[in-house]
Amino acid sequence: MTSSGRRSDVLRVQSISKSFGGLKAVQDFSLTLCEGDLKGLIGPNGAGKTTVFNLLTGVYKPDSGAISLSDAEVAGLRPNQICRQGMARTFQNIRLFGELPVLDNVRLGTHVRAHQTLLGAAMRSPFSVGEERAMTARARDLLAFFGLEGRAEEQARNLPYGDQRKLEIARALATSPKVLLLDEPAAGMNSGEKVALRDLIRRVQTTFGVTILLIEHDMGLVMDICQRITVIDYGVTIAEGPPEAIQNDPKVIEAYLGAPDEPSVEQGVARA
Amino acid sequence: MDTFLQTLKDALAIGSLYALIALGYTMVYGILKFINFAHSDVVVLGAWGSLVLSRWLEARTGSTWTTDTPAPAYIGLLVLLAAMVFCGLVGFTIERLAYKPLRKAPRLNVLITAIGVSLFLQNTGQLESLFGNRPRSIPALLPDQTLVSIGRVNVTTLDVVGLGTAVALMVLLEWLVFHTKMGRAMRAVSHNTTTASLMGVPVNRVISFTFVLGSMLAAAGGFLWSLKYQQIGQTADTSWTLLGLKAFVAAVVGGIGNVRGAMVGGLAIGSLEMFGCAYYKSSMADVYVFGVLIVVLLFRPGGILGKATIEKV
Amino acid sequence: MLPLLIGLVFAAVMQLVVKPNIGDYPAKLVLDIGIAISLAVSLTMVNGFTGQFSMGHAGFLAVGGYAAGIVTYYGSQRIWGDRATHGGILSGRPLAIDPATLPLVGHGDWLFLAALVVGGLVAALLGFLVGLPSLRLKGDYLAIVTLGFGEIVRVMIQQTNATLKPQDIAWEEVYPALPRPAGVEAVASYAFDVIDPATKLGRTVYQAVSDTPAWDVLTHVGGSLGFTGIPKYTSLFWVYIVASITIFAAFRLKQSTFGRAFLSIREDEVAAEAMGVNTTRYKVWAFVISAFFAGVAGGLFAHTLGVGLSAETAGFLKSFDIIIMVVLGGLGSISGAVIAAVVVTVLPEALRDIPQYRLIIYALALILIMIFRPKGLLGTHEIWDRAVWKRVRRRGGSEPGKAKGGSSP
Ligand SMILES: Nc1ncnc2c1ncn2[C@@H]1O[C@H](COP(=O)(O)OP(=O)(O)OP(=O)(O)O)[C@@H](O)[C@H]1O
Ligand SMILES: [Mg+2]
Repeated sequence: MTSSGRRSDVLRVQSISKSFGGLKAVQDFSLTLCEGDLKGLIGPNGAGKTTVFNLLTGVYKPDSGAISLSDAEVAGLRPNQICRQGMARTFQNIRLFGELPVLDNVRLGTHVRAHQTLLGAAMRSPFSVGEERAMTARARDLLAFFGLEGRAEEQARNLPYGDQRKLEIARALATSPKVLLLDEPAAGMNSGEKVALRDLIRRVQTTFGVTILLIEHDMGLVMDICQRITVIDYGVTIAEGPPEAIQNDPKVIEAYLGAPDEPSVEQGVARA
Repeated sequence: MDTFLQTLKDALAIGSLYALIALGYTMVYGILKFINFAHSDVVVLGAWGSLVLSRWLEARTGSTWTTDTPAPAYIGLLVLLAAMVFCGLVGFTIERLAYKPLRKAPRLNVLITAIGVSLFLQNTGQLESLFGNRPRSIPALLPDQTLVSIGRVNVTTLDVVGLGTAVALMVLLEWLVFHTKMGRAMRAVSHNTTTASLMGVPVNRVISFTFVLGSMLAAAGGFLWSLKYQQIGQTADTSWTLLGLKAFVAAVVGGIGNVRGAMVGGLAIGSLEMFGCAYYKSSMADVYVFGVLIVVLLFRPGGILGKATIEKV
Repeated sequence: MLPLLIGLVFAAVMQLVVKPNIGDYPAKLVLDIGIAISLAVSLTMVNGFTGQFSMGHAGFLAVGGYAAGIVTYYGSQRIWGDRATHGGILSGRPLAIDPATLPLVGHGDWLFLAALVVGGLVAALLGFLVGLPSLRLKGDYLAIVTLGFGEIVRVMIQQTNATLKPQDIAWEEVYPALPRPAGVEAVASYAFDVIDPATKLGRTVYQAVSDTPAWDVLTHVGGSLGFTGIPKYTSLFWVYIVASITIFAAFRLKQSTFGRAFLSIREDEVAAEAMGVNTTRYKVWAFVISAFFAGVAGGLFAHTLGVGLSAETAGFLKSFDIIIMVVLGGLGSISGAVIAAVVVTVLPEALRDIPQYRLIIYALALILIMIFRPKGLLGTHEIWDRAVWKRVRRRGGSEPGKAKGGSSP
């Protein structure tokens, strides 16, 4: 799939910018994702990575620039509309529906594709009952895929940290996205879990055929699974290319060495 | 013209009271981000505290204080200070017992707790063993002399002392917040609690201090209120809650969390209410106030002196 | 539909079997409980499900009550020429009438039903308007705006005029300037009191019913005197029918995909929106649905024997009462709201000798629950959920210190 000749662009981002007061969090950020891509987005703390996600998913409105998802302009739409168009995300600081059962977290993800009406649901019309059954089945499938089927009835906030991150991915996948944005899915995981996560992300991509944009601080993971990587620093894109090129890019090395509390590219690769 | 001047005088008087009370709301909101619903009840305690103390003093000195033979000036000052100390203690206690356990809880829970505290104070105050459930009147602590007359509008001692006290307290607060170490700590905590505590600001002490300060201003508000109206409604009288709500609206309209905003907002709401009543319909006073609140929140949620912020995700 | 059928049977049993056997006073209490249940459950849909904190629920109650009252009060006069009830066995009726002479459901009951629906719809429309600010405001701000809304409703009701009372008035009184046609003695008229702006004195004005435009009645609902004279149709049957429908709707909603969408907004609005939930639309929907049921409950309230519908119905004290029920029961728990509605309605009876302690007890309960059980007694759960009992057993078994739950860091 990755090497087929003609692949269409699913996501085209053209020089979007965003500032908060005087702080230019993201400047002229551009990016193109082709169907089936798995791209990395890296940069030191505070570089603006999460802000890029927030701009893509409509949480913040870009000050300027264009975002097209499957050739439809989505910049300026509300997050729920963008999700409906086919872009879903996870959150860096986990944002599950903590009081709700694990199953309902995933079922909620399927809501955006539901066709029933409020009245139909209240009257339990055959259509709405059937759809509800299908949503539940799909949610259970997703939980099984992530090995969470045994915890379906538990409250999401009671899950261990690693499972919460997986549940976030499952919930995002339940919205049937074309593009999946993962914000530091490995954060807080130990090395064993990270290896498992690496395989999981690959399996997600092949099983669900989604295009993935991945923010991750663990260089080993990023270099290992991403075909291409974009590096930003202070909101500005400083490099773009395949992992090998990024590792040797002097600007990237400087950006990371300039932030000493950050694992350098070299160290990250060495650890992996 | 007389109507205008008279209304202006009323607006200043009530507006400065709103401002005093609004300061308590705004300081607490600035730091803990919740509406301290019980604040208006501290105002009430200030009023009733003043009443009980001055009645007691009246009985002790064996005199009767009426508008013609008011209490000596130092009595009024004494009552004011005592009410402020009393309410300061009450505020401190409320914060420690009810709000402190909820420091990490969702804001909604704190709001509900505040409603609980408010209902508790209102209804405990009405017990026969405390203030009882009937309005009572406070002895006259000030002469009601006319000092100046402009047209047919009389400016009395009461007007001057009321406005003067409110302004003096606000100047004092302004100095405290912007020119002392404690004030700096308050502003730091209000800006970002976590960072402030990392920087070594004793957050809990600052919060307590804020409550004490706000409650003392509320006490002064209650005291001035009782001087102005003499008749003091029972503690669960809904007019108190409305008074508190209007003061809160003043805080929001001025820009919540902003000390100067509370003063501006208080005067704005006072004027709106008084001019609305004088020139349109007095029975609709509450409608003007809440109407303005809704409009301000929808179109300028930061208030007059505040600025809008984007929630970080 | 089975649950609704059960509700119907239950309501009929309440009216036909329970009521005659428990006496008037307990029956009134049971009736109050039913209305409280509808109010608490309807507020749960906003405060519990979507987590938007509305403090103006009594505003919807009052608006629904007034709208329904207008329909029956003025409707009755137009249709039957009087303000008596024209209900059947299942509805509220004057004690003097022998039930044997009545049909099961009378003509008046249909008017009453229509009035309830009108009350609900008018409240729902207002719910839509009040829901709009919820799109831009959160938490406390929304709370204060909804509270302000309730107060505005209260003051607006106070501004209305005295109710119109139908009387046959001498022609000369009604049409002083017109010559009296032969044979006509009196005119069917409305009498109402006005304050003369010039003299500031009250006087009575007469106006022929046929000359009174229909919309005129909207401004004649009693003002600060209260809306009196509404026919008293409310019975245990109607109250428990409404309560059943409200509970049924709340459950169906909660268990549907829309209910999950509502709950997701409460849990994390940003995440809900990012997962494709149109939070804007659902928040407004929550207000509309909730206001509808509150409006219907208001209609029941307005037609209850011994109730004086007044502007105070919309005041925040009434709203606080409903909030207390919802918070005690558990924000989001329907069965919790029902239980709390029963407790909060019955408690004043238990405290009949010391009524002054009622609100003190509620207040302490609110504070302690927020500290020790931040989500209310049942949280989002229903009373029969396993999670509730598991927790109770665990707590009962050991570690009382754990009771702090989510509130401690
Ligand atoms: N809502 C906001 N208001 C003000 N400043 C913001 C807001 N959101 C982000 N910022 C600022 O924008 C900059 C970029 O933040 P962002 O969260 O995108 O960084 P990041 O690359 O994701 O960092 P990290 O690796 O720590 O997650 C930071 O300086 C941050 O403080
Ligand atoms: Mg980030």
